[in-house]
Parts: sequence; structure tokens; C-alpha cells
Amino acid sequence: MHMFFVLSRLAWRYLWRNHRRTIVMLSAIAIGAWAMIFMTALTRGMVDQMIEDGVSVIPGHVLIHDPDYLDDPSVNNRVALNDAELDERFGDAGFVSWASRVRVPAIVTSERESRGVTLLGIDPQAERGFSFVDYDDVDGRFLEGPDDKGVVLGAKLADTLETRVGKRVVLMSQDPDNEIADRGFRVVGLFHAEMDATEESYAFVGKRTAQDMLRIGNSVSEVVFVGDDYRDVEPIYEKVAALVDDSVRVSRWTEVDTYLGTMMGMMDGFMLIWVIVIFLALSFGLVNTLVMAVFERIREIGLMLALGMKPSMILGQILIESMMLLAVGLLIGDVLAWATIKPLEGGIDISIVAEGMEMFGASSTLYPSFNIDDVILANVVVMILGFLASLSPAWRASRYEPVEAITKV
Amino acid sequence: MNIVLRLAWRNLWRHSRRTWLTIGAMVFSNVLLVFMISLQVSMYGLMIDNTLKVFSGHMQVQAPGYKDDQKMRQVVHDVQPLAARLRRELDSETIAARGWAFGLASSAERSYGIGIYGVEPEFEPRVSNIPGLIEQGRYLDDNNASEIVIGTMLARNLRIGIGDELTLLGSGVDGSFAAAVVNVVGIFGSGVKEIDRNIAQMPLGAFQDIFYMDGAGHQVVLLAPDLDQAEFLQASVEAAVSDNGDLVVHGWDVLLPGLKQAIQADMSSAFFMYGILVILVAFSVLNTQLMSVLERTHEFGIVMALGLKPGRLGRLVMLETAMMGFIGMILGALAGALFTTWFTVNGFTYPGMEEMVSNFNLPGRVYPRATLVSMFAGPLVVFLFTLAAAVYPALRLHRLHPVEAMRTN
Amino acid sequence: MTAVRCIDLCKTYRQGDQDIKALDHLSIDIEKGEFVCLMSPSGGGKTTLLNAIGGLDIPDSGEVWIADERIDQMSKGQLADLRLANIGFVFQAYNLIPVLSAQENVEFVMQVQGIPAAERRDKSHAILEEVGLKGLETRRPAEMSGGQQQRVAVARAIVSRPELVLADEPTANLDSKTSAELMELFTELNEHHSTTFIIATHDQRVQAYAKRLVRMLDGRIVGDAEQHAA
Repeated sequence: MHMFFVLSRLAWRYLWRNHRRTIVMLSAIAIGAWAMIFMTALTRGMVDQMIEDGVSVIPGHVLIHDPDYLDDPSVNNRVALNDAELDERFGDAGFVSWASRVRVPAIVTSERESRGVTLLGIDPQAERGFSFVDYDDVDGRFLEGPDDKGVVLGAKLADTLETRVGKRVVLMSQDPDNEIADRGFRVVGLFHAEMDATEESYAFVGKRTAQDMLRIGNSVSEVVFVGDDYRDVEPIYEKVAALVDDSVRVSRWTEVDTYLGTMMGMMDGFMLIWVIVIFLALSFGLVNTLVMAVFERIREIGLMLALGMKPSMILGQILIESMMLLAVGLLIGDVLAWATIKPLEGGIDISIVAEGMEMFGASSTLYPSFNIDDVILANVVVMILGFLASLSPAWRASRYEPVEAITKV
Repeated sequence: MNIVLRLAWRNLWRHSRRTWLTIGAMVFSNVLLVFMISLQVSMYGLMIDNTLKVFSGHMQVQAPGYKDDQKMRQVVHDVQPLAARLRRELDSETIAARGWAFGLASSAERSYGIGIYGVEPEFEPRVSNIPGLIEQGRYLDDNNASEIVIGTMLARNLRIGIGDELTLLGSGVDGSFAAAVVNVVGIFGSGVKEIDRNIAQMPLGAFQDIFYMDGAGHQVVLLAPDLDQAEFLQASVEAAVSDNGDLVVHGWDVLLPGLKQAIQADMSSAFFMYGILVILVAFSVLNTQLMSVLERTHEFGIVMALGLKPGRLGRLVMLETAMMGFIGMILGALAGALFTTWFTVNGFTYPGMEEMVSNFNLPGRVYPRATLVSMFAGPLVVFLFTLAAAVYPALRLHRLHPVEAMRTN
Repeated sequence: MTAVRCIDLCKTYRQGDQDIKALDHLSIDIEKGEFVCLMSPSGGGKTTLLNAIGGLDIPDSGEVWIADERIDQMSKGQLADLRLANIGFVFQAYNLIPVLSAQENVEFVMQVQGIPAAERRDKSHAILEEVGLKGLETRRPAEMSGGQQQRVAVARAIVSRPELVLADEPTANLDSKTSAELMELFTELNEHHSTTFIIATHDQRVQAYAKRLVRMLDGRIVGDAEQHAA
């Protein structure tokens, strides 16, 4: 430890001997670190938003379906447990929130137009906490209970259908015997969502109304469980899995929406690759700086060896110097990134490419997120790789023969 | 060789390790740039090509407002004669008429809401690649037959195969109830879920009968020989339909605003990354050249005392930099092209890519191709920044006083 | 007591296509407290001998003993420890670490030895005063004259009271007044602390201070005589 301080002081002083070179290198490291974190914050912000939006539409972090439902989301593939059995099994099991729902493809027809939608038969009270629809931001009103006879459509869909609150539409689907199951509904509310696609795709009706219409008694298509954090669903998954047998399939949201699931996994991979690419671009300059720093003080290294410093101390000194350079550069870059990201956290408006972002599944406002884990990862990766890259010049410096080094001109 | 050139060349190799490290930074960035730009150009090309050839074509003739609302009654009257006239007037066969309706498709066991295209069996294969993707059975051949082709996933979900009957329910152009029974004659597989699950095509004549179209359709699709000629073709089409105030012509970027914007969004984030790489290389060069100038202070002092002007020494430094940059550019472009070519042969993919890119009608493996432009665009920019980075060290020479310089060791 | 014993040392260098015998079956004993001057024209082998004694250079054959330890077979680490603890060095030039002040340079060896800060400070102050540099403790090497720099180097070499001080052309870059002062300093230290001094030089002014004069030529000792200091 004592030796560390001795070497650190030497390294620090040497770092500033050629201050121009050090400043140029520091700037490069700082820009690199800034770019790592800034870019990651933007991407992370976009992906987080996408996943949060996406998960809220699924909704649910863990879901129960009939084993065939995901492949064939038909009314015939219903959860083996009916409403009463579900209540009995999950009602008192201590889940933060859960709900059972009817979810089948349907067609909605106004007097003008027809469109395909996903018909959701829900218990509005059970889903209030996690629905992607803000019940209070609905033109008209949201559903009031599972027996509500009205339908709530997306505002965009209502536009296309040329319908509005108070008018009637017909919802059409099939019953388990493939007879047409249809029913007229009064439009009671229009909901708003971040993306047009969401507003176009869903029609909410009362759960019991839907069960009546589809003639499926009190059975449902899916049961959804929502926890506190979509990133950590294993505890819920295990809890749910322990409560059911294999007549149903329990899935994590990443299995239901594989695009989002892949996105989440990819994000970390992208981040690491980006950090490594920038580091590699920096590493040439770093090694170059160290090689020059060693070259211009070969004689002094010889002197230190002659005075009784061990080669390992020379090695340590160069490594510490390199680590200091990196640490200072990273620190500046981190602060710079923080200072540029913070003012943007309110959101960056990128609506000029809104439709393009929608193809990615992202919304038109980008919320960069200064994620401390990402910052730590970037810094640690750079320090570790920087250490490895410095080994060669440092090793060479420690291998000089004192006599040769000292007489070198 | 010119003496100045020779001098610059020798100076460059006085610290060969340092020079190689700096060139290494250039080559590293150039290889990445060449590969990434080649990959991007290939991906964008594929994205546009695949997406346009699925449905939209390079442009469409539609009724005003149809693009946004897709309402059944926003029709193009006498659509087939119009398509025939355009084919004749523009002397092009890649023009086809279509109708589009939303309907419920019911098999014996299942019902799903789908989009139904009425197409001209003779001309559709020339504007879209769906007819070429038939996996089972055959494509449509008779304009008035009660036949239909559907996607693989739809066939699976409906549990039907070739020869089975499908009942279509929907509303006609006047809002009246429309129904028909058609025969499944073919099943196509595009690999894109949305298309394979939600789309069917039937002959336009039969389509017009079922939906009471009275000879009308919704669009005339045109495909230019390639993307570059689309704009020119659009002008001719606009001229050809200008006599009819009920028709508008939309280019692909208007039909699919998301596609262009997705490319723009992707490009801007890519350019940010490229910019960072280039700047980091510039810093590497700045560092090297600054050191190279500072360590030669003594030597420069001597030649200045001999009467050489700082400007000439500055040019020498620039020449050295240009040589170094040139080597970096050529090696980088070649290595980058070689690297890219490996992927041209073996294809580029990463885990999760198939999920990620299917939104853009891209396959899970792409084969990027290096062109002269993608090979030199990046390296040339790096070269220019390299030169720019050497300006400061070169200008510093003007501050040199011969006597003081000679005293420095 | 013998401070340094060299037995039958040989060392050959290749220079161009020529072999140069820097040490040619050389043997010498130096007692503790001696003040030895190694004289030879350049290339005569004095620096090689000095480096062999300091463990900086390993002879091709022969034995080197410091006190009762044989050092020519030691590892690099052992040699480093030996130099750190027992030997002080003064070189012709580039003696000091440029990023450290005079005092820090003097403390450097003690620091590596792990001597506590307070003790280091006391010792370095005392020794800098002894070599006549009081008040210049915080100067960096670049801010001092050549003579002052050499004094700092001497202070560093003797501060931890090594039994043996090796100096290679210590006066080469100094004017005559400064070299005289430096040699006075050496003599004084030799007499007060009975530190053994071995000085390689071809400076006639330095010879005068030697108590034993060893002349070398082509790697061999050609003259070895006691003399009384002037």
C-alpha cells in the first residue's frame, strides 16, 4: 500500500510532465466516454420506453394461457380454469395485481367501415393499476364493471370507422362451435395511446358481456400477473408456476412478445459492443501515449532500477500512470455526459420521424436515461481493457537493463 | 523521388512503432466504417425493395384521402380500364389494379378478420413478390374465379389447406352486407408474420362482385424499373391522370412514411457513431504529430537557423501526415472491403437479428456488398480529419525561435 | 574487513564486428572505509567494473562479493534490494528524477525502503544541509545548476548511510570549483562515516583526493598504489 502511494505520486507527476500530450489524450478519452454514455442513454431511453409501452399493452409480466393459445389465439383455446377456480387459486396468494380476461380476434363494424381488432373482455377495476389506458383520460367514460354493455375503442379507430361516443357498432367473432358470435355495442368511450397502432388495435368490453357474447360461460383466454419491475419477473413466474399444473402454459412477457424480449436482451449487447468499439479506437492512442512516455524517460527508468527499484515497481508505475490517465478522462467524460443528458431527460421530440420510430415499435418522444449501471459498466470495461492494453508497454519498460537504459542517448 | 518527399517519408519512420499505432487507429476505424456503411446500404436497399415489392410498389394511383383512411368507398372508378390505359400510355407492364376490403374469413373451425386484396392475376406478379412466394398450390389465374390465396400462418390458424372452402363476410362499398364462399387454391409464405397471418388475395373481378364494387377498385400500383427512376415515372403518371380530379398519385415515401423515417432515424444514429470514431482517430493523429513536432524542436531550430521558413517546415509536417493518412486510408479501405467480402459470402447475422429486422421485411441474414462508394466514403472522411488534426502542430512551428529551439534538448 | 572482493572477472562486449575485453581476468580487494579512485582512459573498463560491483552488470565469469555476500549469481530482485540497502550511486549525468524536487529525490530511496515520513524528512533535511543545499529543498532538477544537481545526487546516495558509494565520473559536467567542493564532500563523508568510496574517473583533479589509486587499461589493473591525500 505504501509503495502504491510512492508510485502513484511519481505517476501523477510524470503524467503532467508532457501536459500537451496528456491533455490531447484526456480529451480523446473524455469524448469517447461521453459518446459511450450519451449514445447508450439515448438508446437505453428508447428501448426502455418501447418495452414499457409494449409491456403495458401486453399487459402483464407473467401470463397464463391455454398451451395452444399463443400460436392460435382462438376462442377455442381458453384457460382450463374458470373465473371461480382462478379466484380461489390466486385471490389470496398475495400477488400485487392480477386479472383474468377474454382476448379474441374480432371485427368491429360501423355503418360505414369494418376493421379487425383484438376484443378484450376485462374487469376494469382489476386492471386499473396496470392498464395502458388511463381511465381518466377517456373521451366519454371507461367501462364501469365486468357487466358493462358498452365498448371503448381507440380514438384513431373511431375516426376510421366514422363513429363516435354514443353511436353503435357491431362486434363480430366466433363462438366455440364456430358459429358467428356478434352483438351490438354502444360506444361509451374513446381511449388515447402513445402509438396509432395501439389505438387501432383494441376494443374493450366488459368481461361478462364478452363471455355471454362468445358463449363461453365463465371461462377466459388469459390470466395476467403484474409485478413491480418488468425486468425481474422470475419471482412471480415461479410463484404462478407453482400454483398451476400443465393443463395451462405459464409464460414470461419476453416469451409472449419476442420482439420486445429480444430488444431487451440486445440492448445490453449493443451497449457492450459500442463501449468496446470506442475503447479500441482509443486504445491505439493510449498505447501510443504510453510508448512515448516510456521512450522519453528510458534513462530515468534505468536510474530508478540502478537505485534499487524492482522491475515490478516500474511496471506498476506505468500501469498506474495509464490508469490515472483513463480515470481522469473517464471522469470528465462522465460529468460531460451527465451534464448533456440531464437537461434532455424531459424528452427529445423526434416526431419528424414518428412513423419510422413506430416501425421500430418506439414512440415519438425520446427520453434519454442516465442509467448509473450503464455508466459503471462503461467505466469498468474501459478501465479493465485499458489495464490490459497498458500491460505491453509497461512490461517493456520494466524489462530494460539498467546499464543499457542509463547510457541510452 | 523528390528530396522533400523522401525527407517526409524518412521522418515518418523514425518512430515506426508510433506511426504504425497511429495508422492502426485509422485502419481500425476505416474497417468498421467500410463494413458498417456497406451493411447499411445493403440493408436499406433490401428494406426498401422488400417492403415496396410486398404491396406498395413505387407509387400508387388512389382516390384522395384513401391513403390515410382506407375507407371502402374512397374508390378509383373503372380501375381495370385505368390500369390498362396506363400500361399502354407508359408502355410498361409493371402496373396493376387492386381493390382492398376488410372481412371475416371463416373456415369450418375458425374465424379471423383479414385484409382481402382483389388483384389482377395477370399483372399482380409483375408488381409484387407475393405471387412468387406460393408454397403450396398455385397462384390465381382467372380474373373472375371464386378463388383465394392466403398466408401460411392464416392457413394454419384457420386449419385449412388447398381445396378447402373459406367463407368471407364483410361490408360492400355501399355499407351493405357482403358474403361469399371461395376456394383456397394457394398458400404463400413471405416469412413476415404480419403478412402471412393477415393477408389474402383473390381475383379482382370476383372481388368486385362480392363487395359490390361496380368496376371500381382502390389503387393502381406501379413499379419502376428501379428506385432511381421512380420519380421520373411518377411525373409521367401524374400527367397521365391529371385529367381526372378524383385521382392522386402517391410515391412510396408518402405511402410508407415510416420506411423512409426509419431509415433516417437509423442513419442519424449511425452518423453519430461514425462521427465519434472519426474524431477519436483525429485525436490520435493530433497527439502523434504534436509529439513528433515537439521532439524535433532542436532539429527544427537548426534548419530554421539555416534559413528555412516555418511555413515550409509546416508543409513538411502536413506532408508527413498526408503520407500517414494515405497509408491508413488505402489499408483501411482494402481491409474493410476484404472484411465486408467475407460477409458477402457468408452473410451477416447476430443472435436475435431475425426478430429485430422482420418489422422491416428483412431476412435474418444479410449479405452486405462493398461498393466503391462504401469503400472510400468513410476512409476519405478519416483522411480529411487526419489532415485537419495536423494543422495545429504545423502552425505551432511559427512560434518557434531558432536560438531557443536549438537550446532545447 | 573486506567491503568489495572481485575474483578473476571477465566481461566481453561486441562492438560492431569486434570483441572488446572490458574486464580481463581482473581481481581486486577493497577494504571497508577505503577511498578508491579507478583511473583509465575511456574504454579502459572502469565503468564496467563499477557496474559489476554495483550489480548493474553481470560479468561473464568470476566472482563479485560485497561484504560477505556473493552477488554475481543473485536474481534481479535480490540485486535491487542489495543496491537499495547497501549501495549509493552517483552517475555522470541524469542522476535525478526530473519530476521530483530536490528533497523528494533524496527521500526517494528511503521511500522505497519504507522509512516513515517523519524520519525521511529529518534525514533529508539534514543531509541537504550537509551538502550545502539548505533552502533549495523544493526546487526541481531543471531549476538547479549542474553542481547543485550533483550534490542532490550525492545526498541521495549517502542519505541512508550505505556502506559503499559508487560514483561514475561524478565531476564530468562540473567546473573545477564545483568539482573540488564535491570531492571535499566525499572526503569528509569518507572520514566521518567511514563509508567506502569507489570513484571511476579520468579527471586529474579527482585523483588528488584518492587514498588508493587503481589504474586500468584494456580491462586489467596496471597499477594499484596507496597515496596520501593532498
